[in-house]
Amino acid sequence: MVVNSINFWLFFAAVVVPYFLCFRGQRGQNLWLLLASYVFYGWADWKILPLLVGVTAVFYGLGLAIARNNESNPRRASQLTTLGVLLGLGILFYFKYFGFFVQEFTALFASLGVPCGERTLNIVMPIGISFFTFKLMGYVIEVHRQTAAPTRDAVQFALFIAFFPTILSGPIDRAATFLPQLQRRRRYNESDVSEGLKRVLWGLFLKTCIADVIAPWTTVVFGNYAHHNATTILVAAPLYLIQLYTDFCGFSEMAIGVARIMGLRVVENFQRPFFAKNVAEYWRRWHMSLTTWITDYVFMPLNVAFRDWGLWGLYAATLLNLIAIGVWHGANWTYFWFGVYHGLLLCIVTGLDKRRKRFEKAHHLKDNELYAWSRRLLTFLCFTFGSVLFQAASMGDFLGTIARLGQGFGPLYSEEFSSLVIYALPATCLMFLREWVAEYRRDIHFMHSPNIIVRLVSIALLISFIIYAGQLEGNSFIYFQF
Amino acid sequence: MERTEIFEKLNEIFVDVLDLDEVELTDATTADDIEEWDSLSHVQLVVAIEKAFGVKFTALEIMKWKNVGELVDSIVQKL
Repeated sequence: MVVNSINFWLFFAAVVVPYFLCFRGQRGQNLWLLLASYVFYGWADWKILPLLVGVTAVFYGLGLAIARNNESNPRRASQLTTLGVLLGLGILFYFKYFGFFVQEFTALFASLGVPCGERTLNIVMPIGISFFTFKLMGYVIEVHRQTAAPTRDAVQFALFIAFFPTILSGPIDRAATFLPQLQRRRRYNESDVSEGLKRVLWGLFLKTCIADVIAPWTTVVFGNYAHHNATTILVAAPLYLIQLYTDFCGFSEMAIGVARIMGLRVVENFQRPFFAKNVAEYWRRWHMSLTTWITDYVFMPLNVAFRDWGLWGLYAATLLNLIAIGVWHGANWTYFWFGVYHGLLLCIVTGLDKRRKRFEKAHHLKDNELYAWSRRLLTFLCFTFGSVLFQAASMGDFLGTIARLGQGFGPLYSEEFSSLVIYALPATCLMFLREWVAEYRRDIHFMHSPNIIVRLVSIALLISFIIYAGQLEGNSFIYFQF
Repeated sequence: MERTEIFEKLNEIFVDVLDLDEVELTDATTADDIEEWDSLSHVQLVVAIEKAFGVKFTALEIMKWKNVGELVDSIVQKL
């Protein structure tokens, strides 16, 4: 059940009306939302529901045990935290990576002349596992670091993990910001509902008018790369990056909006990444709930541990951090090399940082717009290259796609390209306009204008655009596979 | 060493490591208040502080600080 489908909105209506009308306190509201979340998750994958409930119970107990031992027995608290992290990683490893390793080792032994038969494991990866295991592990680490208070309320904790708008594809919330919101009753609030609906509308626009319009064309091009020339590949690559962004940002906007309607604030996931002036800044604006999670719980401990190695320690931590982000997406060498590629880019940016600042000071470039836009373009191109690696089914496909660039230019593959020009191009221009305004002209408002006419016209135009140009078949999201 | 002396020394370290023109740290200062203070420069700051005060922090301490005040508390405990 995807958030851009009629089924979801019928389900949501059945949840939200009693949520505001039938419960006098937070306990009833939380229990109702938990029930709805389990129904929602069970709808997607009912066989995994017992696993979700089971690990939630174990991590709930671990959180309390860690908190009890934090002051009296710090060693035991550390051991329990390690146990929690290993358990989370173990679940992820089994469902997400085990089959891949068996397959790789079988191939390795076969190439060494050691026969071990055909081994294929049919482990079905539970939907949303990368998101809820990160929430579980983040919780025990936060309780151990005492940056979040543990909850004694099992329903609150289970709801934090299974909250239906975010369980399938994030954003990955933190206990410190989400749990306190569950401790008070949420009343119907007009401004929350209005803001939530605007976020949903914007997300729907990104998904249906841009991502889903671009998707059929890029899928055909990359799926049959061997039949396409350099011109087509060079057009498809940046389009895929825009598709990936609008697909995932569109989902995140809708998830945040749905939560907001219910009076709950979910962590932000994107902050206009195409306006980033270098790859480090891009990563701070892209899938922020994952990158901040990995920065806090992987990069910082590594960076602290390696701190006496100077700049090399920083490079090692950066590289491992980005490899972790890469392989988080799945068991495929393409994700590993995607991480290595971005890790190396980040090391270069970090290594040249002081020199760049000196250069900008000497040439008075700090406020030079042409210089800023050149840096943005370069960053966009770096990520475009990375996205070709990201979308490839295998390293062979990636290298095959890149090799097409050497086959010469030619006419652009034009089958169904017209719908991109007619629908996706104006929609993308509109997206950039809104993002440009948010970056540079915070005094200009469209859907949030104090003038009711501007507000209503903006909303009506957006709805018309979605009805006229949107792909409204309830297509799935790229990030559901992770 | 008095807290005010520690703050003076920290101001110098922050200016030096983060390449700032000047800074006035208080107990409540956090990374959100200084643009250049990010996850990359944080550890460079820690290394410089350890060197300047002749102390060594544990990994858990470094990751638990919520503001400069808590960092100063850790320094005071170790001096």
